[in-house]
Amino acid sequence: MGDELVVVGLSHHTAPLALREQLTVHPERLAEQLGQLVGNGLVADGVIVSTCNRVEIYGTASDTQEAAERVRVFLEKRVEGSEFAGTIGRAVYARRGEAAVRHTFRVAASLDSLVVGEPQILGQVKEAYDAATTAGTVGTLLGRAFTRAFAVAKRVRSETEIAAGTVSVSSVASSLARKIFGDLRGRRVILHGAGEMGEAAAKALAGDDAALTVINRSPEKAERVAAECGGRAASYVELLSELHRADVVITSTSAQSYVLTTELMRGVAKARRGRPLFLIDIAVPRDVDPRVGDLENVFLYDVDDLQQVAQENLAQRKRAAEAAERIVETEVAEFEAWRRSLELTPTIVAMRQRYQAIVKAEIERTLPRLGDLTPKQKKALDKMAGAMVNKLLHAPMTELKGANGTSEGPILVAAAQRLFGATGGGEDQSRPSLEPERFIAPEKTKA
Amino acid sequence: MLVLTHFATTALLYGVACGLFFYVLARGHEGVGKRAFPVLIAGVLSHGVYVTFDAIGDETPPMADIHQTLTVLSLGIVLAFLVATWRKPGMAILGAFVTPVVLVFFLASGLGRSVGHVPAGVRSALLPIHIVVNILGIAAFALAFAASIAYVVQERLLKQKRLGGIFQRLPPLHVLDTFGLRATSVGVPLLTFSIISGVLIAVRSQPGLARLGATQFFAIVAWLLFAGVLLLRVAAGWRGRRAAIGTILGFACAMAVLIGYVARAGGGA
Repeated sequence: MGDELVVVGLSHHTAPLALREQLTVHPERLAEQLGQLVGNGLVADGVIVSTCNRVEIYGTASDTQEAAERVRVFLEKRVEGSEFAGTIGRAVYARRGEAAVRHTFRVAASLDSLVVGEPQILGQVKEAYDAATTAGTVGTLLGRAFTRAFAVAKRVRSETEIAAGTVSVSSVASSLARKIFGDLRGRRVILHGAGEMGEAAAKALAGDDAALTVINRSPEKAERVAAECGGRAASYVELLSELHRADVVITSTSAQSYVLTTELMRGVAKARRGRPLFLIDIAVPRDVDPRVGDLENVFLYDVDDLQQVAQENLAQRKRAAEAAERIVETEVAEFEAWRRSLELTPTIVAMRQRYQAIVKAEIERTLPRLGDLTPKQKKALDKMAGAMVNKLLHAPMTELKGANGTSEGPILVAAAQRLFGATGGGEDQSRPSLEPERFIAPEKTKA
Repeated sequence: MLVLTHFATTALLYGVACGLFFYVLARGHEGVGKRAFPVLIAGVLSHGVYVTFDAIGDETPPMADIHQTLTVLSLGIVLAFLVATWRKPGMAILGAFVTPVVLVFFLASGLGRSVGHVPAGVRSALLPIHIVVNILGIAAFALAFAASIAYVVQERLLKQKRLGGIFQRLPPLHVLDTFGLRATSVGVPLLTFSIISGVLIAVRSQPGLARLGATQFFAIVAWLLFAGVLLLRVAAGWRGRRAAIGTILGFACAMAVLIGYVARAGGGA
């Protein structure tokens, strides 16, 4: 039985933030931790993926059950003395073999993320893989699993809409603003009133380098919010002039009637000479007369609109995730077929080598009795011996290759090893020679 | 036969590119999108071969008659699109609006085949310059037209709060508006020169002609609309939907001019 993939770790699905924090591996300590894992024989080779949402150890082993237990103990030791000592078992999961491959692909494709489809995880997994490659702890099987995982993630992103749309009200507001104005750098944003959701939206926009102005009936509150969100405060009397200059207005006052009426906004729109204005009305009851949305180059979204967009995006991502899971399954099947072919290779190579050795020995014994053979005759004999080996091995090899990946495969491999005395080992059989076997040594050419 | 094969190949490649761009716009698929550009470029190469063989076969320079002018115009629009969207992956989706225009002009060039040779009296040294500048101007307006269609669609979706696939795939409104403004700013001076040179050629060839034909009338209307849109954009701060609709109307008139030419050429055959 060859090596298989094993993943042991914990994530936002199973562990609280405090426990994940305890186990987080700082990038500077990755090489050291990898050295401990592989150097102490916990796994044959390894990669550590450590993000704010997951700490996972990927490795290979011939006995993945034992390896998983060794890694679990390794993780347990890291929380000794903390409040989580002795309780980590409930949070740690292990995936072995095909399940581990599937997990690797799903993590890279952001199907296992807290926000499905978020783009950061792929970069984090790539960094983890690069660190392990630099530390020299990545072998053939693990390397292939990760490079395929990157390809799967790319396929999922290009063939499904897993990353389309945003899924929180503040990010929807920010995303819509970008869809109107393109780059938000230097765009003027007004936060009119206060409120958690309004501040979150303002922060999201200010994070895109927009210039934020906070207007509130209470100057103190305006100053405080402006300081928190990274903007400037303006007095309430400046509202109209600010509206003339603004690109985005987030309004969330506690007024009981419309603050931005159609008449007021018609005048504002006229003064703006067609410059687009994005109004985000987060207030309940609403601050902006809904008819304002009919004005040319004015785009009005209220809290229900934004929530609906967020929910539609979430639903869209879920639909895309179903398609993505199908891609993952196809890729897992292909990977497993490749891995099983690795198990078959040593047996096939050993069978061929054994037959070749027998034929070669018999020819060497018979050759002196045949007298002087011409080079042409020797070449014909050599060719005949090679053809015999190939024809004798054709049927068993075809059967072995055909059974590869089926339940019959391991039985046939074991049978072939016993019947043909082809147990592998000895010479390096992972890289069979591509040169045709010469049964008769070529004659030495005269100097 | 060889010319016909290249015509069919070019039309097929443009048709496939158009289909791929539409598929990407409607359904979204980066992999398919990446294939649209190579197909379009293959169409351009085939188109180049077709224009060359056609000119050799007719023993005339390209653009000697209406069908050749239309085919070079469609080639000019594709090249202008490729240049304008070079290294701007977000704008590539405009191919969904540009390629149908290209396909219409290219197929129309086939319909106008063997008709509309320029009368000897109209031929002058100014004529090739008039035609080339006209083609460049119309190519610029074709790009402005594509951006304006995309703008109107995107603005409608935003107003109706339908923020699904097509909305996500089209570029931001501001980007489309700026693209349309730039293309119009390039197109108006070119079309202005084309109108002036066209009038000079007409006066020289038919002195004393007092009335305007339908094609000349539409050419002037198209120029007025484009120049008007540009003037309103620059002087009156026009932007967004109004500017986009003005550009679409202007391009529709420009297309009417060409249809007028083809019809006149066909009638004279």
